[in-house]
Amino acid sequence: MNEELDSQLSAMFDDELPEDQCQLLARRLSRDDALKARWRRYAVIGAAIRAERQGGAVGRLETNLASRVSAAVSAEPALAGEVVAQNAVRKAGGMRWWQPVAGGAIAASVAAMSVLWIRAQAPVGADTLVAENAAAPAALTQTVAQRMGDDSASESYVVPATVERTPIVPSAELANYVVAHSEFSAPVNRRNMLSALVASEPLAEVDAASSEPNGAAPATNVVEVSRPNVEEASK
Amino acid sequence: MSADVSDLSLVRRVQRGDKGAFDALVLKYQHKVVKLVMRYVRNPAEAEDIAQEAFIKAYRALPQFRGDSAFYTWLYRIAINTAKNAVVSRDRSPIDFDLDLQNPDESYDMQGRLKDSETPEALTLTEEIRSTVNSAIDALPEDLRTAIVLRELEGLSYEEIADAMGCPVGTVRSRIFRAREAIDRRLREVFEGGLGRAEELG
Repeated sequence: MNEELDSQLSAMFDDELPEDQCQLLARRLSRDDALKARWRRYAVIGAAIRAERQGGAVGRLETNLASRVSAAVSAEPALAGEVVAQNAVRKAGGMRWWQPVAGGAIAASVAAMSVLWIRAQAPVGADTLVAENAAAPAALTQTVAQRMGDDSASESYVVPATVERTPIVPSAELANYVVAHSEFSAPVNRRNMLSALVASEPLAEVDAASSEPNGAAPATNVVEVSRPNVEEASK
Repeated sequence: MSADVSDLSLVRRVQRGDKGAFDALVLKYQHKVVKLVMRYVRNPAEAEDIAQEAFIKAYRALPQFRGDSAFYTWLYRIAINTAKNAVVSRDRSPIDFDLDLQNPDESYDMQGRLKDSETPEALTLTEEIRSTVNSAIDALPEDLRTAIVLRELEGLSYEEIADAMGCPVGTVRSRIFRAREAIDRRLREVFEGGLGRAEELG
């Protein structure tokens, strides 16, 4: 038996051998009787040192306990099948309980993120803007009627003076884009947050406007701001 | 170095069906388990019976051992529970009481009956091993003796011993190995004679 192997065995006995070497040596230890006998004497040395220094009851240093246990274990079934089966059961059991919990957690997270995102995207002062716009339908209706009745008349894209524009009003390009596309989308889609932001008038009115026979774009205040491009596209 | 690596290596082998690896675990911890059980029963032979039962229980329970705690911690828990149950069942057993009445002249220790296996020869062998180990330790050079005693008695890691002795960890490993080899040479002689006697003891 070479000295390096014995040195490794000594280190393994003290839990001081690297894991990869431990695995190799454990395999050899379980099969090599000479190595096992040395391992046993290492244990006896430790027990003798502790017995001498610490005193107290120590039992017998030379005992056939290990051979008795080994004989009893020999009559037991090997564990490999049990371990695999129990791991499979544990894994299956784990899947059963955490799947619905995980599903619920994901759904709750998505819902919470949606709420937070919508709240973050909501324009500051949007309520004020809508309230102000609520007073404008009359002016808008008049403007639309004029446009429908007299195409030669110069188009007026004047926003009612009562509506004060705030910095949170979306850019003309964005509004133009949304309005152009809203003509081809279902009403429910226009109820999304961005449409609501752009077309800040009651949905019922938007629906009514979009159902006009000439297919005019929804008459909203914000739309009127950037109307020229839309008008050209619809002509 | 993570603790319990060597035990885990052996445990994993047992869990894969290698019973020989369990022998190594029993050999390593049998003295500690018996000593632990002897807190509950003073008789060494009875303590060995309980330790044997504990080891077999541990073997059967190994499929549930996941390595969350150290193997010896897990094993000690099983041993303590086994010892407690043994004490309770022994105290409740009417057989012991009957034996007491039927054999009033038989000598007993504090915790129970003296078993036949606890013979003077067995005690002599234990004393022989103990004295051999101690004389071998006394004969060791100072640095080897300090290293092995710090490891076995104080339970220090190699790194802690290296700090205490002011030397590299590799030197500690070498010193402990050389100390064990020196003691083992003397111990082997006892074992070669003693094992024959032990077998005779049955």
